[in-house]
Amino acid sequence: MSPVLPLLLAIGLGLAGWLVARARAWTFKRAAPHGRIAALPSYHAWYAALWIVVPLVIWFLVWNGIQGQLVLNYVLASPEAQALPEFGLRRDAMLIEARNIANGIDAQVMNDGAYALAEPFRQAQSRYGLIGLAVSVIIGGAGAAWAFLRLTPDFAARTKVERLVLGALLLASLVAILTTFGILVTLVYETILFFGKVSPIDFLFGLQWNPDPMSSGAVDGDRYGAIPLFWGTLFIGAIIAMIVAIPLGMMSAIYLTQYAHPKLRAWVKPALEVLAGVPTVVYGYFAALTIAPFIRDLAVSMGASNASSESALAAGLVMGVMIIPFVSSMADDSIAAVPQAMRDGSLAMGATTNETIRRVLVPAALPGIVGGVMLAISRAIGETMIVVMAASTAANLSANPLESMTTVTVQIVALLTGEGSFDHPATLAAFALGFVLFMVTLALNFIALRVVKRFREAYE
Amino acid sequence: MSERVTPTRTAAFEARLKKRYAAERRFKAIGLSAIVFSVAVLLFLLATMTINGIGGFQRAELRLDVDFPQMGLSLPPEELTVIEAQQRLSGQGLREVVQFSAEQTMGAEGAAQLNGEAWRLVAEQIHANPGILQREASFWLPTTEDLASAYAGDGQLELQPLAQDLAERGFLEDNFDVGFLTRADATDPQLVGIWGALKGSMLTMIVTLLLAFPIGVLAALYLEEYAPKNRWTDFIEVSINNLAAVPSIIFGLLGMAVFLTIFPSMRSAPLIGGMTLALMTMPVIVISGRNAIKAVPPSIRDGALAVGASPVQVVFHHVLPLALPGILTGTIIGMARALGETAPLLLIGMRAFVATPPSSFTDNATVLPMQIFLWSDEIDRGFVERTSAAIIVLLIFLLLMNGLAIYLRNRFEKKW
Amino acid sequence: MVMHDTAQSPLAEQAQSNEAAENVEPTAVKMRARDVSVFYGDKQAINGVDIDVYQEFVTAFIGPSGCGKSTFLRALNRMNDTIPSAKVTGTIELDGEDIYSSGMDVVQLRARVGMVFQKPNPFPKSIYENIAYGPKIHGLAEGKGELDAIVEKSLRRAGLWDEVKDRLQDSGTALSGGQQQRLCIARAIAVDPEVILMDEPCSALDPIATAKIEELIDDLRGNYAIVIVTHSMQQAARVSQRTAFFHLGNLVEYGHTSDIFTNPTQQRTQDYITGRYG
Repeated sequence: MSPVLPLLLAIGLGLAGWLVARARAWTFKRAAPHGRIAALPSYHAWYAALWIVVPLVIWFLVWNGIQGQLVLNYVLASPEAQALPEFGLRRDAMLIEARNIANGIDAQVMNDGAYALAEPFRQAQSRYGLIGLAVSVIIGGAGAAWAFLRLTPDFAARTKVERLVLGALLLASLVAILTTFGILVTLVYETILFFGKVSPIDFLFGLQWNPDPMSSGAVDGDRYGAIPLFWGTLFIGAIIAMIVAIPLGMMSAIYLTQYAHPKLRAWVKPALEVLAGVPTVVYGYFAALTIAPFIRDLAVSMGASNASSESALAAGLVMGVMIIPFVSSMADDSIAAVPQAMRDGSLAMGATTNETIRRVLVPAALPGIVGGVMLAISRAIGETMIVVMAASTAANLSANPLESMTTVTVQIVALLTGEGSFDHPATLAAFALGFVLFMVTLALNFIALRVVKRFREAYE
Repeated sequence: MSERVTPTRTAAFEARLKKRYAAERRFKAIGLSAIVFSVAVLLFLLATMTINGIGGFQRAELRLDVDFPQMGLSLPPEELTVIEAQQRLSGQGLREVVQFSAEQTMGAEGAAQLNGEAWRLVAEQIHANPGILQREASFWLPTTEDLASAYAGDGQLELQPLAQDLAERGFLEDNFDVGFLTRADATDPQLVGIWGALKGSMLTMIVTLLLAFPIGVLAALYLEEYAPKNRWTDFIEVSINNLAAVPSIIFGLLGMAVFLTIFPSMRSAPLIGGMTLALMTMPVIVISGRNAIKAVPPSIRDGALAVGASPVQVVFHHVLPLALPGILTGTIIGMARALGETAPLLLIGMRAFVATPPSSFTDNATVLPMQIFLWSDEIDRGFVERTSAAIIVLLIFLLLMNGLAIYLRNRFEKKW
Repeated sequence: MVMHDTAQSPLAEQAQSNEAAENVEPTAVKMRARDVSVFYGDKQAINGVDIDVYQEFVTAFIGPSGCGKSTFLRALNRMNDTIPSAKVTGTIELDGEDIYSSGMDVVQLRARVGMVFQKPNPFPKSIYENIAYGPKIHGLAEGKGELDAIVEKSLRRAGLWDEVKDRLQDSGTALSGGQQQRLCIARAIAVDPEVILMDEPCSALDPIATAKIEELIDDLRGNYAIVIVTHSMQQAARVSQRTAFFHLGNLVEYGHTSDIFTNPTQQRTQDYITGRYG
């Protein structure tokens, strides 16, 4: 069932209900003494429309979920299905192809048997489509009837509608909690499955990372030591990138807020915003195409023969550039939050601007700046595309920035975009890595937001 | 009066002052160079992409003259689709006609470098303008990738003399390739286009917007206007703040484990991609929405309540319209971020090779940043330029969106 | 409260009790302002002010809010430089040297002309570091011993030593409002300035803390020229020997404090001190 048609049906019925209910309320209003009724006609209209649309939409969602299975059951019960293979990829492929033929989708058909199955598919779909439509009409009609029976001149339509609106608001805010729970449950569940196959100690403290998504049979725990990944992530995201981003971001913010002519600021601030808005895939391409070969050539010309073209340095440098605007705007906000009186007090003592900045403003803004740097680190270690494109997939425990290294995010992508099956330990390992990444960034964000909040309140 | 000599008027103080001013100048110079560096990197990045990308909007094409009346091709009936017309014409030997004409005009060596799909373009033109068949016509058709790289100065050395010769005789040229904006992905860089990815991006963004905007605005209204101060509300707030800072790839893991389990047949569909990105965008909208709502002064709420409006009416009639520009600004910024996002979509399978533009929310699709990522992996030289050209298109969209957000912010920024 | 008979007012009594000090002839003019105007963009905040600030005297600037007294005070140590749109014309001399001339260094000027602000603004550092800040940046102390001595001397002079000597490493912001303001005064005198400017130093304080600050100002008078902006006429009468009355950016009247409060020559001054407006 295509989602457009039922949606149009719901909207159409709702609109009709809205108009009829409004007209009815107007007749109440005209008949009422002094032309007063308990609620405005438009609230009667909304009351009716909501009673039609909301149950319909819920029904569509439910029906959409079960209809596919019903159709499949019907097809499998048909005599044509006897020709299907018992199980496996071919069976699935034939069913999908048969459905495509039935729906008139112009896709490739590899298995001729699919043509025979198309007919039962067509029958099942038209049959369940009709059932769905009939139930929809019944539900829409019932909702409408229920609403219209309750419309009277002294019916408090507004309170009813408003209660529903408040409910919708609450539901919307619960989506955030659902998402958080969804992430946690997913990651924890898959991680537990993973730890059933590989011991957490091997995973968290092992020094060899060499999973084989194609392997079968016994799981070799020694292949899942994640220390080299954690090291690579920290080295690229928290060390190299921060060495670039913190001084440049801080100094940019200081210059912009304390020294720059307003005209310069009016040009540079948007430029930094543009720098922040460049998608990471572009930075990744830039790193892989321009920076990485440049660094390799430079290193080789200076005598470092083992320099890699997927060096940690290239990925880290570009990541640092990506983070500059973020650090700069956090530092900008923190310094701006320090009261002007501090600055005046220091200048009135005869301090120069840079003495004021270094000895008064930055120390006063330090909690905010530290919080900002923590957020920046959390963003750097969770960054994916730059490292996927510019760093390596081979794990390497080394402190030489010219060597290739891999990170947690690179491995998640590598393990999940491969051909491994869904319950293979290599696939599960990706979720375990995701869980570690989530917990670390969560902790960083949580602490950083607390620190920043307390800092802001201190000066309010 | 005998002047008291204070320590701030001594020679030592003044000597030290010189040093302090030198430090001040150094510090200022460091600050300026930090800014210059950041802006220079931005300019360098944009310049690299532009220089590479300009080539991506062009392609090497060969001139082909066909004397149609001599070839005995008959007109395909008008009601046929392009694909059917191609099949008919192919059946009549159009491919051989094209090959034969090419050999006649530029010799066998040159003709061998005409792109294998070139005859399809001829067929398209015949379909669009059947009159061509009555006369002699001339076409610019794509070369093979080998000749294109030889013409650009690298690639196979043995082809370079041929490229030079053809160019001198006026048969080989770099032409603006309109088709780059209207075609979809292909394996040959001469034939790729970004329309498929662009359309996939649009479909995905529509889903994201339809989900994230209403949910985000309603959640912001609830938290700012109605939520009681209790643990639950605190928990919602903490969740939202953290979700806004969670790495995007985590949303990919969630989308993969939840959405793909519920809808296993929709790998690569804009619907799933849009839902995943909506989860990521929603917190951004909530946070900016709350700030915009917070900025509406309480006096407006009091005024409306005082004339007997219900709390819901106050919010929907007064607060929301005033906060809307701020909410829209945040939404556009969130959408721009979603438009440039790649990592979560990588995990839910939107990295498929999609040769036909998606026509619905459930078709296989890819998105623009993903197309950039996929092309960046290709080895062919032609893809480097195409990748940069795709980046330019993506950056233009993002600049427009960010520009709109900045404009809205400045236009409607109110000081109460 | 409207008092028409100024001769009987407590204000006048306070001013008279101060008379002994104010009848001493000033030894020297410390700062001299001639035809000073201050502009913020197109708006003129101060209009052609002439005033002399004397060595070892307390000069009070009074006047209704927005009259320009604080603006003028900030012109005396060039704090207006920090506001991009502000412009000062006319001459202000410190010991005969024009402070707006190119030969005058603003850092040195501010070291010589200290300032205390309306709201106490200790730096978010320890009490010790607050006081040591000025001597450190100006290089006034050789070694820790000297610095300790300066800190102790400054805190003693500000009357704060006994209250904080056991907790010098506590944060300056942890002190009470009155203590914070005395800390700021101690911070200002730690660099041994010649003039101290005070911009409504007691407006954020309770009466007891105010009394302590006023006492302190009187003690400090012997070593510095002090200029105090205040909105409290009682305070001006209590602590100052010279008073200047500002109104709408103009200096209306300047003279002996007791004269201003007992025999003002201008009607506007009379109206203000009797509470007709303000």
